[in-house]
Amino acid sequence: MGLKSRAVMVAGAGIAGIQAALDLAEMGIKVHLVEESPSIGGRMPQLDKTFPTNDCSMCILSPKMSESVRHPNIKIYTTTTIDSVSGIPGDFTAKIVERAKYIDQEKCVSCGLCEEKCPVKVDDIFDMKLRKRGAVSRYFLQSIPSEYTIDPHNCLYLNKGVCRLCEKVCPAGAINFDDKDKIFEINVGAIILSGGIDSYDPIHLGNFGYRRYKNVVTSLEFERMLSASGPLGGHVVRPGDHKEPKSLAFIQCVGSRDENINHNYCSSACCMFAIKEAMIAKEHIKDLESTVFYMDIRAFGKDFDKYYEKSKDKYGVEYIKSKVSDISEDDDGNLILKYVYENGDISHKQFDMAVLAVGLQPRKSIVNLSKSLNFKLNEFGFCRSDTNLPLATTREGIFVCGAMNGPKDIPESVTAASGAAAETLKFLRLERQDISAEKDAVQEKDVAGDRPRIGAFVCHCGINIAGVVDVKDVAEHARHLPNVEYAEDLIYACSQDCMNTIKERIKEYDLNRIVVAACTPRTHEPLFRETITEAGLNPYLFEMANIRDQCSWAHMNEPWLATVKSKDLMSMGVAKARELKPLKRLPIEINPKAMVIGGGLAGMTTAISLAEAGHEVYLIEKENELGGNLRNIFFDFDSDPQVLLADTISKAESNELIHIYKNAIIKKIDGFVGNFSTTVTGNNKNEEISFDHGVVIIATGADEHVTEEYLYGRSDRIVSQVELEDILKTRKFPGTRKPKNVVMIQCVGSREEGKMYCSRVCCTKAVKNAGVLKNILPNVNIYIIYRDIRTYGFREKHYSELRDKGAMFIHYTPENKPIVELVNEKDTDSQVKVTVFDPIVNKNIEIQADMLVLATAIDAKKENIDLVKMLKVSLNTDGMFLEAHVKLRPVDFATDGIFVAGLAHCPKDCDESITQAKAAASRALTFLNKKAILAEGTICEVNDSRCTGCGYCVHICAYNAIELDPEKGTARVNDALCKGCGACVASCRCGALDLRGFTNGQMFGVFDSLEMTNVIDE
Amino acid sequence: MLQELKDTVKKLISEKKVDIVIGWKRGTLPGSASPLFIQTQEDADELIFDSTCRNNLTAYLTKDKRKMSKDYKKTGIIVKGCDARSVVLYAVENQVKRENIFLIGVPCEGVYEKKKIRAAVDGKEILGIKKSGNAVTITGRDFEIAVPDKDVLSDSCIYCRYPDALEYDVFIGEPRKEVDVKDEFAAVKEFEKKTSEERWEYIKSEYSKCIRCYACRNVCPSCYCNECFVDQNNPQWIGKTPEMTDSIIFHLIRNLHTAGRCVDCGSCVSACPAEIDLRIMSKKVEKEIKERFDYTAGLDINEKPVMATFCEHEKQDFIMS
Amino acid sequence: MKEWEPKILALLCNWCSYAGADLAGVSRMQYPANVRVIRIPCSGRVDPLFIMKTLQSGYDGLFVSG
Repeated sequence: MGLKSRAVMVAGAGIAGIQAALDLAEMGIKVHLVEESPSIGGRMPQLDKTFPTNDCSMCILSPKMSESVRHPNIKIYTTTTIDSVSGIPGDFTAKIVERAKYIDQEKCVSCGLCEEKCPVKVDDIFDMKLRKRGAVSRYFLQSIPSEYTIDPHNCLYLNKGVCRLCEKVCPAGAINFDDKDKIFEINVGAIILSGGIDSYDPIHLGNFGYRRYKNVVTSLEFERMLSASGPLGGHVVRPGDHKEPKSLAFIQCVGSRDENINHNYCSSACCMFAIKEAMIAKEHIKDLESTVFYMDIRAFGKDFDKYYEKSKDKYGVEYIKSKVSDISEDDDGNLILKYVYENGDISHKQFDMAVLAVGLQPRKSIVNLSKSLNFKLNEFGFCRSDTNLPLATTREGIFVCGAMNGPKDIPESVTAASGAAAETLKFLRLERQDISAEKDAVQEKDVAGDRPRIGAFVCHCGINIAGVVDVKDVAEHARHLPNVEYAEDLIYACSQDCMNTIKERIKEYDLNRIVVAACTPRTHEPLFRETITEAGLNPYLFEMANIRDQCSWAHMNEPWLATVKSKDLMSMGVAKARELKPLKRLPIEINPKAMVIGGGLAGMTTAISLAEAGHEVYLIEKENELGGNLRNIFFDFDSDPQVLLADTISKAESNELIHIYKNAIIKKIDGFVGNFSTTVTGNNKNEEISFDHGVVIIATGADEHVTEEYLYGRSDRIVSQVELEDILKTRKFPGTRKPKNVVMIQCVGSREEGKMYCSRVCCTKAVKNAGVLKNILPNVNIYIIYRDIRTYGFREKHYSELRDKGAMFIHYTPENKPIVELVNEKDTDSQVKVTVFDPIVNKNIEIQADMLVLATAIDAKKENIDLVKMLKVSLNTDGMFLEAHVKLRPVDFATDGIFVAGLAHCPKDCDESITQAKAAASRALTFLNKKAILAEGTICEVNDSRCTGCGYCVHICAYNAIELDPEKGTARVNDALCKGCGACVASCRCGALDLRGFTNGQMFGVFDSLEMTNVIDE
Repeated sequence: MLQELKDTVKKLISEKKVDIVIGWKRGTLPGSASPLFIQTQEDADELIFDSTCRNNLTAYLTKDKRKMSKDYKKTGIIVKGCDARSVVLYAVENQVKRENIFLIGVPCEGVYEKKKIRAAVDGKEILGIKKSGNAVTITGRDFEIAVPDKDVLSDSCIYCRYPDALEYDVFIGEPRKEVDVKDEFAAVKEFEKKTSEERWEYIKSEYSKCIRCYACRNVCPSCYCNECFVDQNNPQWIGKTPEMTDSIIFHLIRNLHTAGRCVDCGSCVSACPAEIDLRIMSKKVEKEIKERFDYTAGLDINEKPVMATFCEHEKQDFIMS
Repeated sequence: MKEWEPKILALLCNWCSYAGADLAGVSRMQYPANVRVIRIPCSGRVDPLFIMKTLQSGYDGLFVSG
């Protein structure tokens, strides 16, 4: 294999692409992040809220977007498509085409004047055509990059040769109609596909009247309606008459689970999506009725069922298990839904609006992409990947993540993205990165002991600020503030020549603190910090006053008040700057080894991934053999789990970088990210082994629930699904004759009070085992008694196949559970009588079963609590490990350097465990692949003489960054773990803690300056 | 009971189980008590325990410079209900090691508020104070009157729910068990009924009396910071003169600093020379903590500090979402 | 004389609310100019004293968001 390039192309910059790029970049790999649309972000920016926490989607995404645009190892190409890929794995050459943007991205200041004046109005794609935008526009408000682009299909000048209005109004002279498409040839060793999916267009399903009836919208359109930054400003109204709807119908499975359109798969996310929208809509409109029409509610993810229950109990969302056959409209635009219950009964109900839960489908472009990159698609047109290799395409060197190879929700996409990054690193093999090699260009000036000499600069931002605020007046005001040595107004503070001016003034006036009143520090602080560093100042001797985004743009009609406010913001900025101190980011050494706790499928997979990336791993297994729960699984649809098990064990055992400790008990774990030290006892209980490592991965698995329900344990004819696997393998059925009737009961111990979660795998397992049973005994009658069949994703196919084979599915509710009795208990041919209410025939039916199979829940391990104590991580209410963020940090903990994978996190299937195991490896590698990491500059510090050691801060810190010094009894901050939130500082009565960069002194300085602010003389 | 107390202390000293016992002795002024530091058997003879034993002596524990020293033995201390709760607080907040403290628990019938006693005799000079039954006899040069206890007990004691030391190594006397207090937050509830203007006027009128002597802080068992925020320079948290707004800030921040930590011993009220109604705000905070987190300070030595703990089910009605 | 208007101070978390205030500006949402914003790293940084100081300095209201 010719490994010529160690760069990677990530194709598609949605959340999956962004995550994959960030992980790779942190491992030290150069990433070309290629995106077709004008902004990175993908689908997430279109979402208002995310389930199951109702976090604002944009709020959680934007830090990751900013991080990727700032990362020195990531190069972003937007409006860019892949033309072709040549070469061989390890040495690809990708030809990519960046469409002409017609706006000089260096000059554009994103003021939006061009769009305001653009005479063309076209449908806004981002806002689902619910609003118009100009032919020159920004993709969405928080786009990254934030610059505007011209849409060549709609621009008057580019099509008809007249207009050029934007050119006239642009204050920055950024419009460039001579711009051409740019072609780049990039050499990459590997490619990650993260191109995402499209949603199904319900125009093809005439019965729902989409586009014919104005008040029928798709779930994504409705999401934009709910969004506060969306076209309706978050005020939900009917598109037809702009009246507030009083009733909403959510129609599930539109374009999913539908064989007629070759969508015989479940889109996996739409149930939760609808539950969320039904709830959020009720928050928007008082007394709104939300009704969901569904076949099965598939709330199979972590904490999803609690969310579903909450929607019923707390929000009063109604759920009707039925199939909507069609929608008609009355003269007032109201919709009449016709729906069919399971038993064939037909009903009608009127609603003000209907939301179609449109399914997910592959993007059209995937067909050409698969040809030019030479990878295969599956039967539904998604990228094909194998159950045991869920992140690989059919082509070597090309990996896949996100929803491109099957419907996924956000955390699954993020997990897959990290997993794909680990696979890529393994493929490329890269040495550990040495951060000390970073250049220290300019000698930093020592300002200790010097009085503050502040330079204040006020930016016009063309007319963005100066058009509203009297910037000369603000500069004059600044000039008279205490400690200000110099003040000046600048046309574009962020332009290269103004940056040079600032540098010159620093030298000329011997300035040692700089305040810039301009746009937002969120985007421009890094730039200005870099500038003052070049002039020899510590980057932290800088402060910004936000007089554009939070002033001139927000008070456009009150120029005088905006000027008063700008002066105040300048005063406050100067007050803080006076107290600023230089800060350093100190390196923290990282031990390159890892410890993986748990030798099941997830643990072994993580260990192998890390070892194959060149890292030593200590793999700790409590039992005397590896394999965990996989040892009890004998059947799968397309592969043999026992082959997977044997392969994985042999890979783990044969890799000399993996040190396996069986029968091992962890006695002690000390330390923190990069510097852990652990003691275990192995086979010989008296012998203690200690080793150092840089990270910890928790993969301790879960237990099968032992039920007391349904007479389990009273007869060998009543077994669990896991026990059934063993029976199917040995073909030793209970009793003397082969079973004729087999009953399966689902949700035994799941989705109930006290254990309100779905065990996720049991529906698929029942379908799978029923299929195997049918193969062995073609005449057997199988009855599956279920609450919701949750065969999400491509598993749906197997469910419908089993139905076609004649298996009976009977729906039950927890209020009306099936009743199990033993008949002829003493007899060798005893039977199990199952009585259940069958909603299809609307009465109780009795089944004389030869076997009763219980789908018992997956339980969290009780021993988890030991690790919680040792590592100070958290569990959720179900006893499963609680990740740092359920959406965007699904394998991390809040404490750096500790990760989770497999069943320890929540119930999941083998392929999902493999993916998550690789994701955990990837996140670990972002640390392990560096010799050292840099601590933040803005972190907490302790004044020992003030500290009483009361320990409040220790309890308060969410990152376990504080402990009490055993000698001195005072608090001690771990620089590596502190995230600089300052919660401890606020909790400290003694004033012993302080947060660098936001010290009490700095804050008080600002507060003291307040007295002179907001004073308006009439 | 007093004899038993003395015997116990003497035994502890003689057996060298502790190297010091802190208790009370008769004070110089009639009806007052002073701290007594007992290091010898003879010292113990000075011991008293009655309704004049006002001070919460546990404040000395945190000021003990030897507490971190390796050859530190044990300190014995006589504790009423509120005092014992302070020790629990110290243990929770790592200020003492519980095993280093020998707690001699006593039942408390409440302590007299000297301001109330003075008021009962219209400020006349008092020569003697004697408790008899549920009343106190106050004698002066030309008078002798009996006042019912309830008129002269400290407010903290009238509403005290935990008069017995709940945490102790030895308990002397007959426990009073949990007493039935009608409504310890009655005054707060009355206060809450006022309009915000009325409340603000009250706060202003009370705290503007403050002369910033910090006696309240100095006697407070929960105020053990090495350097109180009001004394800190660089940065200076608040102005140091008795300017009204600074005084209000001082008191309200002190209320917040003692939130979930105040054991309502009443020491601050007793110490205040300006007779500020300090208890209204401390009780208000206590009520909030009780209602929001179902927590009372100093009851459970194994419970984490309430203000340093977050539970998902806690009320978050102050957050708009 | 104009109607009385309160002076408001906002303490905004850098990661969410401060970004939200930026977004309001980017969207050209107009709101009264009598609010001053202080950027903080997390709403957890807010010491009770900050609130008192704000009121002491003559502000009428305080908005903590994060």
